[in-house]
Amino acid sequence: MTTNSLATASLTTNSVKLVDPTGADPGLDAWSLAPRPADLRGKRVGLLDNSKANSDVLLRAIADILNSEFEFADVFYVKKHSASLPPTPEVMAALHRNADLIITGIGD
Amino acid sequence: MTTENRAPVHELEGSLDPIEECYRLGWTDGLPVAPPTVEKVAAMLEYVGLAPGDLLGEVPVRRRSLTAEQAAANAVMAGCLPEYFPVVLATMRALFEYDPNCIHEASAATNSPGIIMLVNGPIRSKIGLNCTGNLFSPGHRANSTIGRAVRLILINVFEQRANVLDRGCLGSLAKYGVCFGEDEENSPWEPFHVSRGFDAGQSTVTVGTIQDPEMLGNRYGVTGESVMDATADAMASHGLGIYLNDGPWFWIVGHWHAEMLGRQGWDRPAIQQYVWENAWRSRARMKRLGAVNGAVVPEDETTRVPAAAKPEDILIVKAGGDSGIYSELIMNYHGVPAITVPIDEP
Repeated sequence: MTTNSLATASLTTNSVKLVDPTGADPGLDAWSLAPRPADLRGKRVGLLDNSKANSDVLLRAIADILNSEFEFADVFYVKKHSASLPPTPEVMAALHRNADLIITGIGD
Repeated sequence: MTTENRAPVHELEGSLDPIEECYRLGWTDGLPVAPPTVEKVAAMLEYVGLAPGDLLGEVPVRRRSLTAEQAAANAVMAGCLPEYFPVVLATMRALFEYDPNCIHEASAATNSPGIIMLVNGPIRSKIGLNCTGNLFSPGHRANSTIGRAVRLILINVFEQRANVLDRGCLGSLAKYGVCFGEDEENSPWEPFHVSRGFDAGQSTVTVGTIQDPEMLGNRYGVTGESVMDATADAMASHGLGIYLNDGPWFWIVGHWHAEMLGRQGWDRPAIQQYVWENAWRSRARMKRLGAVNGAVVPEDETTRVPAAAKPEDILIVKAGGDSGIYSELIMNYHGVPAITVPIDEP
């Protein structure tokens, strides 16, 4: 049985009441995906390097392969300051300004 | 900030084993936990004077926040007594103040850093925190449970579950918790927190992300230089740390090493300078050992790569027992550099 308040938890003999130690799940509503582009042709592609060794090599190779098919208008490359932290607001703003879609990934 | 957020309460029928229920609910680190009963959680909060809904911090990248009640529940589960709770709270505050997202970083990283909690000041004796023999071993309730409480908060509140959002490759024994005190009373140097500008009477905790400690066994050297050379040599061997070259090092100077260094007149700044100057390898060597990326070029042979960015990054702490002639080297790596914060006691 779960209740939402200590104050309203019933006082039942021979029972143990445990405080839930877990974090609240923000739920799927907290997240939303950006609209998917209908066509990649002529788009500006952003490459977000996670700063691991060879991440740039991998991302540029992927961009080259895709570019031969979709002829991107531009390839914009930017690098995170840490592999395990989110991009800085400046990096996110640069991506918003310069890219219609982003390819990101890990190299090590 | 105080919120109205309250943790749900799970009421178990008398026939259920609370410890097994905690396992079933996925609340443990693999070891049995003390069931977080309403009464014990309330006592923990009462000791520090916090309301259940008090917000301690938020990790934006995880979209999760920590309330005082959740922190208390995890401290209870770890086996903490209420008088340990201020150390847990100070540690979480240090992490939140440095960078809330570091709590994600410190547990998601593949190199598996643990969290060091070095305690200074009067609270050590008040809570029975071990500072001497068997420093990193099981056997002392305060040492064993305070570090575990922080890990349980990371697991339960911030979802640092092994192989889910904790992407550790080989993992780390340090993730069971690394909490200890400096042996201030038997040190030739001023207490570590005093060297950082705190009053001796102010209890503090120094928090950082670390790799597994390494025992240093210079048992036959008869000079301070010999001991410091051995430490510098061990530092230089850590390719990973040298490659990134961005974090401090803890040298937990054992009893007899400290005694000899002190007797021979080595103070903290002189030790830091000596070790820093001697802890390096050539860039060429680091590349051949796979610690630095890229092909060896001629100038690499004469380019020194220091193990620490500057002498002050070699942190000198006196601790451990007198039963043998050892020290411990701990690389403060990836995420949180050694931050010292005061412990607020009621």
